[in-house]
Amino acid sequence: MVVGPCAEESKAMPIIQTRDLRKVFRSVKRTPGVAGTLRTLFSRTYEDKVAVEGITMAVDAGELVGYIGPNGAGKSTTIKMMTGILVPTSGTVEVAGIVPYAKRRQNARNIGVVFGQRSQLYWDLPLVESFELLRAIYGISPERYRRNMAHFTEILELGEFLKTPVRQLSLGQRMRGDFAAAMLHDPHVVFLDEPTIGLDVVAKEAIRTFIAQVNADRGTTFILTTHDLADVERLCKRIVLIDNGTVIFDGPLERIRERYGTHRVLVVELADAYPGFAIDGAELTGREGNIVRLRFDRKAITAEALIRRVTQRYDINDIRLEEPELESIIRRIYVEGYDDDAASLPAAKA
Amino acid sequence: MTLREAAAPYIEFARKAFSREATYRMEVFTSIGSLLIRVYLLRMLWTALYAQNAAPAGIPLHAIITYSTVALLMSLILEVDGTRLIRERIREGTIATDLMKPISLPLYYFSDGFGQTVFHAATILPSLLLALLIVHVDVPPFPVLVAFVFSFVLGYLVNFVVNFLMNAVAFWTLETFAIQITVRWISDLLSGQIVPLIFFPGALQTVVLSLPFAAIYSTPLLIYVGTIRPDQYPAAFTIQFAWFVGFAALAVFVWQAAERRVVVQGG
Repeated sequence: MVVGPCAEESKAMPIIQTRDLRKVFRSVKRTPGVAGTLRTLFSRTYEDKVAVEGITMAVDAGELVGYIGPNGAGKSTTIKMMTGILVPTSGTVEVAGIVPYAKRRQNARNIGVVFGQRSQLYWDLPLVESFELLRAIYGISPERYRRNMAHFTEILELGEFLKTPVRQLSLGQRMRGDFAAAMLHDPHVVFLDEPTIGLDVVAKEAIRTFIAQVNADRGTTFILTTHDLADVERLCKRIVLIDNGTVIFDGPLERIRERYGTHRVLVVELADAYPGFAIDGAELTGREGNIVRLRFDRKAITAEALIRRVTQRYDINDIRLEEPELESIIRRIYVEGYDDDAASLPAAKA
Repeated sequence: MTLREAAAPYIEFARKAFSREATYRMEVFTSIGSLLIRVYLLRMLWTALYAQNAAPAGIPLHAIITYSTVALLMSLILEVDGTRLIRERIREGTIATDLMKPISLPLYYFSDGFGQTVFHAATILPSLLLALLIVHVDVPPFPVLVAFVFSFVLGYLVNFVVNFLMNAVAFWTLETFAIQITVRWISDLLSGQIVPLIFFPGALQTVVLSLPFAAIYSTPLLIYVGTIRPDQYPAAFTIQFAWFVGFAALAVFVWQAAERRVVVQGG
């Protein structure tokens, strides 16, 4: 096992700490039409857009946090402030004890970044040349370079295409190359932005296994931004949910499941048409021919009791129970907002 | 950190740019081909012009052909757009990933451009040999040659900072094509690359010789053909150096404003 420098990091102090982090973008307000365009050339009115509104969060060394939110929620703005390429409007941010925007280059030595949509590899040159360049950029010692390269080549199976120009690599191979590139200098914190986007199932799994393994072996902290919640389910114990620039949930994934995962769906294929089909204690949410969907609250009625009710009154051919997917839970939270109590007790809402 | 360690990334950037250019071998052949056509056309043009009017500004025909040919060889290096990386990175948004590296971006772009230059410089000798089949090129005494190379290096630096500034405009406009074309056109004319600046009439000549563009082509070339005499070298070098320092200071200022704009406005 290879132990990076972050494994010795004290667990007592959070590696990332933000307090009331806020970012407001100011842009010129444009008036439509030719006259409006001319007017904006001479007199400008500005409009402020709040991208991040008071985010306070702490991430401990070695955590693997899913940073989730709809498009435009403020995810990448937060990440940009943590990587030091954006100055906050107010509030504080510290990564590994450094204020990123004040010491961009020093902060850069502590972090690694992977963008699924954008490669940091040299397009025209063989993959290995990008690694050599990074060795020079970060001043990685020959011994450490050899060790890390051997390790990554093995677990990411880079060997077969190290000498291939990057532009000839498949997306999956390129992403594996990008991961090795981001990890070569043993960063304390790695920011992943949509790392599995566009990958096939096998390549996705290879990437997820790699992240989990590096997190376990080296104690590297990961902040994972993604729209693929399967990534989050597979990797993260904790998720931070943001919407409209504010944190709407921060805690273990389990808690969301407990709060929102109480509703399940019973799918029943009826033996006959039964025009007036209805069941007490469950809501009919869909009907297609003889197949009906019944949504019920696990805490109000057990699946067993509900099935008994159905079979007592109707003849059925088939029956199936659906667990709520994380994706539909999250979608519901975006729409309704996170509510710690009401979600578990739908009756109390009314 | 030792100087060697600090320089290591930039040396590596230059080497990578060199290898990258080398992957486009076809481009080298086409650029040499186009150069030879231009050498031939300029010889025809000057010969025809001189048939009408013998030796304007006291420059004989063989000197003007030498001048144009050396100017074209210089353009092999000076027309390498080493700073195009800046506007490409801005347009593609990859400037954000560059900023997440512990490096100075202007130095990165300079070393990348320098690596490209070194590669294209290697094509100068074969180009010269081929050009000699078409035209006769005068070779000045060795000390003059040394002064020419020194002045050329200063011209290269002035050219780099001018291009750098032009590309840095992309931080505000994203698109710099119109600016590029305009500046390139003005620069070609006023730098003395096509027509020696001493052909310009009286007052206009004084003006164009005092513009920064003259520091790029005109000064080294006039040293080469002997119009600028050895006792005038110190003054010529000083002016070139002053343009470089002035523009470099402006470039640093513009770069800081640009970087501030990115980190405040999110690019």
